[in-house]
Amino acid sequence: MSQSYNRGLVEDFSRWKEFSAGMWAWIFHKFTGWVLVGYLFTHIAVLSTAIPAQQGEMVTNSAGEQVSVYTNTLSLLESTFIVRLLEVGLLAVAVFHILNGIRLLLVDLGIGLESQDKTFYASLVLTGAIVIASVPTFMAGIGGA
Amino acid sequence: MWLLQRVTAAFLVVVLAFHFFLLHFYHHAFEITLMGTQTRMQDVGYFATMWLFLVTATFHGVNGVYNALVNQGISGTPKTAVKAILGLAGLLLIAQGTRVALYMNGFLA
Amino acid sequence: MSTQVPETETEAETETEPAGESHQERRMADKAAKREYRESEKKAEDELRAAEESVHLKVFRYDPEVEDKQEPRFDDFYVPYTKGMTVLDALMYARDHYDSSLTFRHSCRQAVCGSDAMFVNGRQRLCCKTQLSEMAEPVRIEPLPHQDVVKDLVVDMEHFYDQMHAVEPYFQSEDVPSEEQRQSRENREKIKMSTRCIWCGACMSSCNVAAGDNEYLGPAAINKAYRFYMDEREDEEELKEHRLRILEQEHGVWRCQTQFSCTEVCPKDIPLTEHIQELKREAVKNNLKFW
Repeated sequence: MSQSYNRGLVEDFSRWKEFSAGMWAWIFHKFTGWVLVGYLFTHIAVLSTAIPAQQGEMVTNSAGEQVSVYTNTLSLLESTFIVRLLEVGLLAVAVFHILNGIRLLLVDLGIGLESQDKTFYASLVLTGAIVIASVPTFMAGIGGA
Repeated sequence: MWLLQRVTAAFLVVVLAFHFFLLHFYHHAFEITLMGTQTRMQDVGYFATMWLFLVTATFHGVNGVYNALVNQGISGTPKTAVKAILGLAGLLLIAQGTRVALYMNGFLA
Repeated sequence: MSTQVPETETEAETETEPAGESHQERRMADKAAKREYRESEKKAEDELRAAEESVHLKVFRYDPEVEDKQEPRFDDFYVPYTKGMTVLDALMYARDHYDSSLTFRHSCRQAVCGSDAMFVNGRQRLCCKTQLSEMAEPVRIEPLPHQDVVKDLVVDMEHFYDQMHAVEPYFQSEDVPSEEQRQSRENREKIKMSTRCIWCGACMSSCNVAAGDNEYLGPAAINKAYRFYMDEREDEEELKEHRLRILEQEHGVWRCQTQFSCTEVCPKDIPLTEHIQELKREAVKNNLKFW
């Protein structure tokens, strides 16, 4: 065989307009999966402040009170806008992964193969709806509890 | 393996949704205190659910990452290395998570 | 460009005649070739003017052996349109009238041989089955993605064939009845769609997992295995086990992520993903039996 030329993958992102629904579903599911795994590790790390807290470690918070390091860490994080924003992002990512995951489970059971692209769009729309509906709740109480 | 990924997926759909609801809608994230957490974790049913949640999520996630890499074509030495690292990371996560849960529960002090 | 004129006379004489005369012959042959070529190009221009519409094609060109085609490029061809013209017709017109070095595979031109699968306007299609009237201009024609390009629109299909052969696509029963092997109508209906594969390679080329993982069997191979696994005429347990073992390796059915691209591009409308899913379920059921 003579030399050949590597033209790059179709999913070379400059050709994104040519992607099909199923392809987008696969890409998003992978992407949200990575984000969630990253979050899982971070989450356990943050929650690990419960160990020193349980052993009695206290700190003084912004209001001058003595609180456990666990409570303080969490309320400190929750008081920043960026963390709130990231939480909304986390919700979006998790909801999409769940809804598309349900779509995939149905496909694995042999249900809904003919309308698989429609169910993908449905899961996108539902994700958007749920996220928008939850923003007020997520943004409540910002600025310190 | 494929089946286990699906089974853990089904379990997680329910439990993750529950976890989110409880901690963002029923309670609010900014209201979480050590006391509140401890109270919840002392309930055996809740504790067991949370621990199962930890194990299934770690499995589903680590297995998912591994498969995504195999799909992308990883092979040979990098593949064995990744398998080992992911397996170890998963086990460490479960160990640390269990430890944290037991402290929250009051079992360890 | 002078490939159209047979140079047999010149070749026979070069050994015996003195250099001058064969040179003359060659020059004449060259001139004849150029004349014919110019005529065909002029013919094309006339036809273009006569036709009501012309179609603009953008065709991928690459040739490692020709200096100015070592860097891939897109060539523009303007082809007069007649009703019912397919992309293959347009390509053949371009090759016959504009550039005889344009290289592509084609054979039956009726969607049964599977030779002319290409990437047209962003999607894998059979050129002989794709109507020009349905394509937005300029019609962009590229070789199948995720496969090495040999020249112009020709890709290396060896990997595809390797995967097809790996599933042992042939009947293997040892004990055959003395008369005909009968198959029930229902069984035939079940495997009917999976028998339609023409080995065009569009599905494998559209699968992102096949692109990333070189060892993945691919939708066409798994579909072929399905065709044999589900056929009741081969009903020995060990054979089914054997087939399943090939399919349930790490790079077999499990790599499928139900992206559905294969089902979408198959020119024979085979529900590939559905067949792969059925085989996954079979493999799981088979494994659970041992517990």
